[in-house]
Amino acid sequence: MSSITVWQSLLAIMLMAAISYGSRVLGLLIMARLPLSPNVQLFINAMSSSVLIAIITPIIVHGDGGTRLAAIMAGMVAIIFRSPLASIAIGIVCAAGWRWWFMS
Amino acid sequence: MMLPLAAFTVAFGLAFGVAASHEGVTHWEAMLMSVLVFAAPSQFAALELWQTPLPMLALAATTLTIHTRHVLMSASLYPWLKALPLRQQFAVIFMLTDSNWAMALGEYHRGERNIGILLGGGIALWAAWIAGTGLGLAFGGGINQPERFGLDVIMLCFLLVIVIGGNPKALMILPWLAAAINALLAYWWLPPYLHVMVGALTGGMVAILLPKRWYKTGTS
Repeated sequence: MSSITVWQSLLAIMLMAAISYGSRVLGLLIMARLPLSPNVQLFINAMSSSVLIAIITPIIVHGDGGTRLAAIMAGMVAIIFRSPLASIAIGIVCAAGWRWWFMS
Repeated sequence: MMLPLAAFTVAFGLAFGVAASHEGVTHWEAMLMSVLVFAAPSQFAALELWQTPLPMLALAATTLTIHTRHVLMSASLYPWLKALPLRQQFAVIFMLTDSNWAMALGEYHRGERNIGILLGGGIALWAAWIAGTGLGLAFGGGINQPERFGLDVIMLCFLLVIVIGGNPKALMILPWLAAAINALLAYWWLPPYLHVMVGALTGGMVAILLPKRWYKTGTS
């Protein structure tokens, strides 16, 4: 299906696993004994949500109308109702509806 | 209290499985990710970066950026876990996720000292996440044109929901806006995948540059 070799994807997954476990252990071993300044905490918190913003922005901008509508509606539902599953469901319905209406 | 969370986690795992089979990630890759990484945001982000050839550096950097948050979270659980032998601490902390961290910290502040809550809850969520992934892979693979059913937006909506749900502060609008703009500029004019780092660093910088009194007044 794709030309990614087994070893490459194994390496990639191991890398991800090591980083995700490493960060959990690191907090326990080091950060708990080191006082973190409020600025550092603020930076880390903002950075780890901004990385997700950075990933989704080009998808929305370069996506079709269905993708954009899905993003707007899912975002609104997330803000108003605070229900993650409802907003994913709305997103799927909007994208499917848009494409059914405009492309078939 | 754990049960609704576990049900949610099955549903999210299902969403991940469906999205993974649509993004060209093979079944065993998706499954191994769910078993070993056990973190929805970085797994969904990895789906977006899963291209040929695999951008290892971008994958590692993105995972690292997303997970720096977990460093803070596990540090906050240290007072609770320090009673345990080191080996058990390492085992329990593997179960740390965004959702059970929030719950565990709440329990701790209410006076709960039983580590079983953290460990048992973690194992339940882990099992739910794996089961959900398996279900999603089983059903998602059978759909020929995922775009027609809107299944390609699952990942996008999920990441959006995590961002909004995890940080309900109006104060974050400025850092996020800056991150979005810079990420887009970097996406157009810088080498591939750098936009992720550019956006993340922009968001962090803007957050610490905002006047400190804004944070104190508790705008929400």
